[in-house]
Amino acid sequence: MARKVAIVEDDFDQRENYRDALQKSGYDVDTYANRPDALAGMRNNMPDLAILDIMLENEMDGGFDLCRDLRALSPTLPIIFLTARDTDIDRVSGLRLDAWDYLTKPLNMQFLSVRINSLFRIVDSLAKDTGDADEADTLLIDDLEINEDSMSIRWKGQELSLTLTEFWLIESMARHPGHVKTYENMMQITRQSYVERNTINGYIRRIRNKFKEIDPDFKRIQTVFGVGYKWNTDN
Amino acid sequence: MRTGFSIRTKLLMVALLLLLIPWMSYEYVREMKTYLLSGQEQALSLTSRAVATVLHDRPELFSEDTPVDPNNLSEDEIYAAPLPNYINLNGDLSDWGEQVNQAITFTKPENGEADLSNLIEVKYALGYRGNYIYTMFQVTDDSVLFRPREFLRVDMGDHIRLTLQDPGQAPKRYTMVAHEPGRMSIYLMDDAWQYPVTGEPNYDLAAEVDVTDTGYNVELRIPRFVLSSDTRVRMAVADVDNPESRELAALVPTTPQSETDELSKLLVQSPRITKILKGLDRDETRIWVFNTDKRVRTVVGNLITEASDGELDKPSNETGVAYLWEMLRYYYNSALQTIFAYIIEQPSGDFADHERSIEERNDEIIQKALNGAVSSDRRPSLDNQSTILMSAHPIYLADGILGAVVVEQSTNQVLLQQKDTLENVISVTLLVLITVATALLVFASRLTLRIRRLRNATETAIDRDGRIISPRLDAEAKSGDEIGDLSRSVSNMLGRLSQYTNYLRGLPDTLAHEVSNPLNVVNSSLHNLSEEIPGSADSKYMERAKNGLNRIGSILRNLTEAANLEQAMQSETREVVDLIELIESYVDGYSFSNPDQKFKVIIHSRPILVEIAPDYIAQALDKLVDNAIDFAAADTAIVFKVRRLDNFAQIDIINQGSQLPEGMAERIFEPLVSLGRKDAQKISLGMGLYIVKLIASFHGGDVIARNLLSSDGVIFSLSLPLHDPYTATV
Repeated sequence: MARKVAIVEDDFDQRENYRDALQKSGYDVDTYANRPDALAGMRNNMPDLAILDIMLENEMDGGFDLCRDLRALSPTLPIIFLTARDTDIDRVSGLRLDAWDYLTKPLNMQFLSVRINSLFRIVDSLAKDTGDADEADTLLIDDLEINEDSMSIRWKGQELSLTLTEFWLIESMARHPGHVKTYENMMQITRQSYVERNTINGYIRRIRNKFKEIDPDFKRIQTVFGVGYKWNTDN
Repeated sequence: MRTGFSIRTKLLMVALLLLLIPWMSYEYVREMKTYLLSGQEQALSLTSRAVATVLHDRPELFSEDTPVDPNNLSEDEIYAAPLPNYINLNGDLSDWGEQVNQAITFTKPENGEADLSNLIEVKYALGYRGNYIYTMFQVTDDSVLFRPREFLRVDMGDHIRLTLQDPGQAPKRYTMVAHEPGRMSIYLMDDAWQYPVTGEPNYDLAAEVDVTDTGYNVELRIPRFVLSSDTRVRMAVADVDNPESRELAALVPTTPQSETDELSKLLVQSPRITKILKGLDRDETRIWVFNTDKRVRTVVGNLITEASDGELDKPSNETGVAYLWEMLRYYYNSALQTIFAYIIEQPSGDFADHERSIEERNDEIIQKALNGAVSSDRRPSLDNQSTILMSAHPIYLADGILGAVVVEQSTNQVLLQQKDTLENVISVTLLVLITVATALLVFASRLTLRIRRLRNATETAIDRDGRIISPRLDAEAKSGDEIGDLSRSVSNMLGRLSQYTNYLRGLPDTLAHEVSNPLNVVNSSLHNLSEEIPGSADSKYMERAKNGLNRIGSILRNLTEAANLEQAMQSETREVVDLIELIESYVDGYSFSNPDQKFKVIIHSRPILVEIAPDYIAQALDKLVDNAIDFAAADTAIVFKVRRLDNFAQIDIINQGSQLPEGMAERIFEPLVSLGRKDAQKISLGMGLYIVKLIASFHGGDVIARNLLSSDGVIFSLSLPLHDPYTATV
């Protein structure tokens, strides 16, 4: 059975383009133009994944409100924000609402499929193994545990709450400790169409903060000025 | 700032106009004085006429022969009768005529003891003729002792003592003594009557002694000029009997001895006229009556010429506040007096013709009166302390003239009043002036302070790059006056300006946001198109369309980068970093990713600790290096120079190549200002250096650009404050 993806986007052209692209990738797609329709529709017909725009018709934060309502309906529903709003505040607000990812327009359609795929893999992995986390798919680098299946990362035994993009970035750095990941590499890894160094810096900053919430002395991610970042094996 | 007078100075200069008040008062008081003096003159003139009227047609008053009635004399007055003959100074009393018989006899020695063994009797008479006053002493003495030649003391023989005293002055003591009968020597004596003050005898006075059967006779002549109208006189005969001890045996005064030990007043005038005029005897006014020979018939009244200055006493009792207050008053008053001394003219200062002496003035006015004219004049007083007003009026006898009345009055009263008035006005004005000036100073200082505060607030409301720091001024915002109004309108203006700035600043973001959606449409459509039509994905047009999309996307990122950066930096935490290490690692990294680009790093000292957000500094370096590479001449190295200056670190990034155009060095950091580009495909919105500027300001530093002086090329200097471990960082 094909997975069902719901798209909430008030722009007809974009909405239809997403639908076409995702249907071509083999998903069932429901589309909604505004928040009330989307909420009513999904209440009866819960999708497997929701892609939300933030500005919906005349509601400035319609996407956020919708996300909150959906969370109430289903705590585990993967939600991706896909929006033209690119401020830190919006990112933080979105992720605070337990969205799984926050993507900015314009977005490469191929990458969107990849992401959706990855998210479904996570969903599958979470559904499959609830008890035995320490499996063969777990990559161990010092105190860092990377679970490829569930796309989750633990630092010193504690789980970090990460978005997909953040997971990919940490994973790519940690996989080759001591090697510099250049900005160009990292831009590829984020799987978005247009990414500036500043955006990468923002990702790394947020990643570091998440580590520091667990371990205030965290210093493994080192800036290589003018080039990129690398994962240090020891402090 | 343009320099000019401050408000304070201006207000003080305006306050100086208050000085016109004392000047005005001075002018006013002068006018007043003139007016008062002319009034006084008129009053004097009236007085002289009144006196003259009383004396009209009474020739008997002017007769020389009017006998003296000694009973009419008061106790302290002695009268000099007119003498019929010219007196020959020879000790022979025959030329005194009738006066000898009228001579008064004194016997009582001063000590009051009736010493019978030493009987002394003095017959004494006083008279005048012409300009001289004559005195005769007929002394009955059992032993006449002359002054021995071998002694210096002059009181070692029989002698006559004469004391003259002008009011307000020390008495002058004269002793008349002789070695033998004949001309006597006259000396000015010391207080004890023992030694002459100078060895020089006095030649104005003259006296002659002659020995008789019963004793001796002395004739004394005193010129009138020695005596003023107020001169007091005392005379005494000193008797020495013992030739061995030469002690003073008796002193017989020949003038009345008042109880107050005052000297007698010498009257050389008509007692009858004096009697008539006695009622006019006052301290301020003196009335002279002259006969046609200009001889004084009578004088009544006195002139007080001394202006009594209130002498200031420096306070001496040292008791706290009261003492301080006294001192203050003392210095204030003495300062005032110094000022008055300059301002108030000296009384004798206003005579038009200084050449004429007092005598001439007197003489002239008397002569005029005797010629039948009423006249007035002024003269300085003898002591030059004040001005004397004079008014003369003739005394008529039928058609002829009998004499003249001269009334004199000192202007001291008027002057004193004038001085008092002026002093009051000046001291009040001075107080007012000081008070007003102080008040103005305080007011102006406050005003200046407030304006300065407002100016500072206004200047700091907008930073160097024109960004609004606070849209509201707190300074003076609550004041109700014009400065408060100004503050509020500036606040208002800033508020509106900041709204507009916010709109402008948000514009790129809004624009980018709005463009993103259609861009996404094109993007996804292209994707779907390539899926739908096989082969189109490989079309070169598809490739170009994607290139174009990429460029539009890049422009959007560029536009929003600055706004996002500003927002992001607010939440960034800073860390203390060695700038040298950062630069070295940065250059290493950059060379790693751009192996073709040459770098040169010059480091002056290490480490240089700064407190920064390293990512952003690296981002700023990116922009600067990108810019340097864009404009560097081919195959030249980009030079990094890092050094420590005073309290900040400076990173110079130098590239050889073309220079900045004129005026560009300042503008280059403004948003959307671009120097143009080499590569048409490369986006150059002019946001890069603006971002450097933002990052520098965020760190409390600065960035400037300038052309190299020595060669073609440009230097960008990024300066950052040094980390100070002793200052708590925010």
